[in-house]
Amino acid sequence: MAMDVEFAKIEGRSVPYLTSVGVLAALAVGGFAATLIMHEHGLYLSGMTNRVPWGLQIAMAIFYIGLSAGSLVVSGLYGVFGRMEYKPFARIAAYLAMLFLIAGLLSILTDQGRVDRVFTKPFTYVNATSMFSINPALYSGHIMICVLYLWALFKEKGTLTKITSLVVVIWAIGTHTGTGAIFAFVPRELYNSALLPPSFVAAALSSGAALMILVLVTLFKATGRHLDDHLIIWMGRRLLSIFLVVTFYVLLIENAHRAYLAASHEAGMFFLFGGIHSFMFWIGLICVGCVIPAILLFIKRTGTSVRWTVFASTLVVVGVLFERFLIVVPGLVHPPELLPGWEVTDAALWEGVVGYSISYLEVLQTLGVIGVIGFMFMVGLRIMPLAPKEARAAAGA
Amino acid sequence: MDRRDFLRTGGALVAGVSGALSLPALSSCTSQEAQSATVLSGKKWGMVVDLTRCREGCTACMDACRTENNVAYHGDKRWDIHWIRRATLEPKEESAGLEEKSLLLMCNQCDDPPCAQVCPVQATYKREDGIVMVDHHRCIGCRYCMIACPYNARFFNFKENPEWPNPEYPRRSHGVAESCHFCAHLLDGGGRPACVEACEATGARALIFGNLQDPASEVAQLVAGGSAKRLREDWGTKPKVYYLGL
Amino acid sequence: MKRSTVLTKKNRAKWATAFGVVILLPVILSLVGFVVSRKPEVPVVFLEAPDPRWENCVRDASFMRFRHMELLKEVREEVIREGLKGGVTLAGCGDCHRNRDQFCDRCHEAASVSLDCFGCHYYLTAAEKAGLGR
Repeated sequence: MAMDVEFAKIEGRSVPYLTSVGVLAALAVGGFAATLIMHEHGLYLSGMTNRVPWGLQIAMAIFYIGLSAGSLVVSGLYGVFGRMEYKPFARIAAYLAMLFLIAGLLSILTDQGRVDRVFTKPFTYVNATSMFSINPALYSGHIMICVLYLWALFKEKGTLTKITSLVVVIWAIGTHTGTGAIFAFVPRELYNSALLPPSFVAAALSSGAALMILVLVTLFKATGRHLDDHLIIWMGRRLLSIFLVVTFYVLLIENAHRAYLAASHEAGMFFLFGGIHSFMFWIGLICVGCVIPAILLFIKRTGTSVRWTVFASTLVVVGVLFERFLIVVPGLVHPPELLPGWEVTDAALWEGVVGYSISYLEVLQTLGVIGVIGFMFMVGLRIMPLAPKEARAAAGA
Repeated sequence: MDRRDFLRTGGALVAGVSGALSLPALSSCTSQEAQSATVLSGKKWGMVVDLTRCREGCTACMDACRTENNVAYHGDKRWDIHWIRRATLEPKEESAGLEEKSLLLMCNQCDDPPCAQVCPVQATYKREDGIVMVDHHRCIGCRYCMIACPYNARFFNFKENPEWPNPEYPRRSHGVAESCHFCAHLLDGGGRPACVEACEATGARALIFGNLQDPASEVAQLVAGGSAKRLREDWGTKPKVYYLGL
Repeated sequence: MKRSTVLTKKNRAKWATAFGVVILLPVILSLVGFVVSRKPEVPVVFLEAPDPRWENCVRDASFMRFRHMELLKEVREEVIREGLKGGVTLAGCGDCHRNRDQFCDRCHEAASVSLDCFGCHYYLTAAEKAGLGR
């Protein structure tokens, strides 16, 4: 049996390791500096405007939060579904899930206009009808359950692991539905859709599973530890491919519904064929993010090759990054129809279809968040026995 | 149980413990001032914009608003703040052939305000007299209200306001959201909104303001007349700004 | 290299020290900042002399000295939520206390309590108020 999985810290003295830790720390410092500058002078230094008040940071926040779902599912393969051969990945997946949630919260935090108040006001004055009040409770609960789950994994507590992994997977569905609801529960044509939370969950699962494949392959290669190809291939063919099909299906229905109904036809058509974001949708999300990787995974020759699986996973992560951006920005860029049949053409406010350009400080902030969690991940590998010494499929053990 | 009650109850379950923290503390030290809360009760402020009387090219209401409320103007459409603004509407295909319209847009003071519904710190809220206000001491600048407002009537202070025309009224720091509040500070002192005063001073009298709950008031009668329309009533936000000649 | 726990007995002290430093860093930094920025001479009387009209203030002097922030916060909440009722407002302070520097800033500086009022509220003195003519 592959029950006795040995975990070990990594040595952490090699030049590549130290270099990457240094680079990630530098990115974190850069992001911190960018945030300080922006909040000293005002958010006009970001690309956001009064018409597009949410931008890259929120898109990245929901991207990170989505990533945590897939990690948890991979982690839950062992705890919830009892697949012993996936025990080696349980710890690292749970740790990553926690980090991604922290990244999501950090992105939202650094995006606020008055960061100085974020640590007091939301706790003092809760608005029970606001998704922004409910979600932090879900997120921080999620992080805490992840910590408990990790502890159970480290201490090899069988029953507690089973319970916590089940709770954490269920909680994750809540977290992601809540995140989708931030947009879905708002009266804007391209936001308000009951299918948005499910499509968010589906895309979250695919991006998370894809990123786990990337992280695992890279990690085992970099540390020179043994990783059975079967494990990765199974994850690609049996998990990721299914998630991709579901994502594609939900996206299809969501957009067809919007474009079909007369009330939202104009907005739906704007989303599908109305500008640079439509290009992102068709090429970035549908082709690169769903169809091509799904085909690659389903074809036997490419689907059973680790290389092709890694390639497909990369495509999925990129595609879902586009998806997140497409959730946030087009719905704001598209003007609300104040008087049906009429179009606002000229006003003091920037009316009509507007643009959104990302500023370099926003990019720095985003890189900073990646730096923070990357740094925590690298340090975690060194101080905690997260990674297994080897990962073998049950048959090969 | 309507939709909002349902959300309230559901959310209250989630936020129960932290909600207990928001109970008002410290009731002792202002008991002397605690007059009865009648300043706001028995009123629903509303406005009727008579577009047939509104003069093209006139900016009296907008200027008055900017001066009274220290509304920031930077000369850049991306960051300018407009509590009241003029918009030109052109017919789309389906209404082709009609003449273009000129419209005054402002916060609609919804009776079911989506902005207040989504504010995570209850900085935006509806007062007893129906005015949707922002407590800028609380606002954390998440901009969720701007996302939720279907009228694009809420604005964010991307930059510090360089000017301070009315020192008696506070300006806003950068990083908080704001919108029109019917000049609540003037109303509470028995006055009327600055835009209404300014419009009357020009002689146009296109902005009519009053208490919708008082059947004798001019606004209530205009609304009861039946020809006053509101923007996108189908959204269910129940605005308290009505338009004549829309 | 067969260590399967976060801490080993050997490196426990090291981790404890590192953790302690991280936790205490803000405290240490603020202490250093305090010592560095401390001015040697402390003015004996750095607030304005009591106004003869102090009895007309909203509360007695000792209350205002120690609890004005609570009062202001509570009044602020009430005014914004329940309408302007007159009575206590920040705008009224300037009627008697003509100098914001002596009335607010010096003490706040000495106590190193930062003020977040005057970025948005203009400190209107009686003279300025008269000048506005409103």
